[in-house]
Amino acid sequence: MNPQKRIAIYGKGGIGKSSTASNVAAACADEGYNVMIIGCDPKSDSSITLLGGKRIPTILDLLREGMEIEKEDDVVFEGYKGVKCVEVGGPEPGIGCAGRGIIVAIQKLKKISESMKKMDLIIYDVPGDIVCGGFVAPIRKGLVNEAYVLTSGEYMPLYAANNICKGLSRINTKLSGVICNSRSVSREEEIVSKFANEIGSELVAFIPKEQIVQDCERDGYSVLEKAGDTDIAEVYRSLARNIMASDCAVDPRALTDERLRELTR
Amino acid sequence: MQQKNLSIMHPRPSSIVAALYTLRDLNVEVAILHGPPGCSFKHARLLEEDGIRVVTTALDENGFVFGGHDRLVDMLQKVEERFSPKRIGVVGTCVSMIIGEELHEAVMEANLDAPVIEVEVHAGYNDNTKGVLFALESALDVGIIDRQEFERQQHLLSEATNVEKKYGAASKEYLEPSRGDVKYTVAKRVIEMLKAGKKGICILNAKKETAYMFADITVALQEVAKKLGVEDNIVNFANLDTGLGLPRVRQHAEHILADMHDNVKIDEIIGGLDEYPIAGQQVRQLIESNYRDFDFAVIAGVPHAIPMEALEGMELISITNGPRQVHPLKDMGHEHVLVEIDLHPKTLGVTNIVESEFGATLRQLAREE
Ligand SMILES: Nc1ncnc2c1ncn2[C@@H]1O[C@H](COP(=O)(O)OP(=O)(O)O)[C@@H](O)[C@H]1O
Ligand code: SF4
Ligand SMILES: [Mg+2]
Repeated sequence: MNPQKRIAIYGKGGIGKSSTASNVAAACADEGYNVMIIGCDPKSDSSITLLGGKRIPTILDLLREGMEIEKEDDVVFEGYKGVKCVEVGGPEPGIGCAGRGIIVAIQKLKKISESMKKMDLIIYDVPGDIVCGGFVAPIRKGLVNEAYVLTSGEYMPLYAANNICKGLSRINTKLSGVICNSRSVSREEEIVSKFANEIGSELVAFIPKEQIVQDCERDGYSVLEKAGDTDIAEVYRSLARNIMASDCAVDPRALTDERLRELTR
Repeated sequence: MQQKNLSIMHPRPSSIVAALYTLRDLNVEVAILHGPPGCSFKHARLLEEDGIRVVTTALDENGFVFGGHDRLVDMLQKVEERFSPKRIGVVGTCVSMIIGEELHEAVMEANLDAPVIEVEVHAGYNDNTKGVLFALESALDVGIIDRQEFERQQHLLSEATNVEKKYGAASKEYLEPSRGDVKYTVAKRVIEMLKAGKKGICILNAKKETAYMFADITVALQEVAKKLGVEDNIVNFANLDTGLGLPRVRQHAEHILADMHDNVKIDEIIGGLDEYPIAGQQVRQLIESNYRDFDFAVIAGVPHAIPMEALEGMELISITNGPRQVHPLKDMGHEHVLVEIDLHPKTLGVTNIVESEFGATLRQLAREE
């Protein structure tokens, strides 16, 4: 058996982390892998498209109601092709401490979840910005062993991606690749590919911008489930295979801001 | 899923402090509190009387915002240089846990020779025994205790928590503190019963080092009974097994027994000094088979852990050190409840029995007879 892959996909907020994560999860499930997706964003929107548009109770919802969570069925739900879906959840925006929420929820999950050990792939879908200690809890607690960075060819997402590379080295986590989620800007693949090479990594997928992604999302499904015969579904499949096969993670070298601007010019 | 329990209004023991006391029992020489300078101040100070040093990383507002990793690494190194301890503990606090500090990372980075017990704990647990449990788990990880001892402790902790929930400080939404009955009046009643030829059981069921003072009541009662020529009417139970518990806890039992030596004979050993939550069962069996016809019982330490069925028909004189334990004991049916105020601080750092107020009162009254 191959060792378990435990990955996190980082990138600027709104860039497409959750939709990429859920489509990759679906593609891996199609290949017969045991997959779990753990949504760590207080918005708890990581698994909706794997669950036919339904929302599941989050770990923090239950804790808020004063429930003692004892079994994994309370918080782990099976979605598309048996993908195990978990949402951490969070406090109301502007109240309490979302970072602490992630720490508490992850500890709880680790304690009660038997099936976590049996997974081939666990995807942590994290919020856009690592704003405080809690948001790196999955990595710090040794739960994540590979990171991917998702970006488009625009300056701001690349800037965020570059910053994330700095952060990764601080928390001793290796980068397994850069994914480009296209916003249809000019020379995009070239720019992101160059960026990937210069930080010492490589571009592992170029996902085009397609209306179908949003249409499927609106109906509550992944592209793989609703539009499996499209070209973009094939892109997700190939990314999924790439992730499952990857074995060369690197310590990324972040670029200077000047170099980053040159790249995008 | 099960609903959580009632919310209690009065302040209760802290899990951080419980972790510190456990580290002391594990013979840790220096404990580092990773948190604000004033956290657990009073107990940190008391613990120094008991031979364990407590230092703090003293996180301030900046530490809250920017994290305290470097300070902790620094502190670990400073502690090693200054005190060369053989065993170190690092204890979390609300602050460091909320901001997601990883104690383990700092410990790895500091890379000291001495083993370090890391306790990720804050004060937000309803049962303060969580602090004990986390400390023991970590001690198990570094090989300071074995699995068998860990499981034994785990069982005792869950029993202790049950006792507190049923009959102790966690039994009601609010408990009024009380100084209990007047010691003079109760001492008079005890002497009256002794003089009337009544038979009494003296039960010492104390938690760890608190036994240094609670044991004085056993000694005093023995002296008084002897003086009145009725020493055969008293039997002594005590949780002073010297073969159970962590080394430090066994030592307390040895010290106390040595101090009692010829003056007091313990008729029945009802467990070790950490077995106060479960010794009640032993007491019940002993009474049922041998001491059914006794008239009164003097119970010191954790009287609420002795099942009431065991004590049926006896007049009960109970001595606790918790002002909030008075009302629950009265509710259970203990006729006389006494509080040894501020007992704990006086039992830290000692190796001999310490005089109790009730013991002193009994002796004084007997002298006046
Ligand atoms: N390749 C794509 N083509 C079209 N729309 C996309 C694509 N990837 C993501 N989106 C859309 O962009 C929006 C934000 O994506 P989301 O995955 O929620 O971002 P993040 O998780 O990074 O905040 C969603 O509505 C999603 O459907
Ligand atoms: S709130 Fe927590 S960290 Fe702060 S002083 Fe109290 S126990 Fe310590
Ligand atoms: Mg998202």
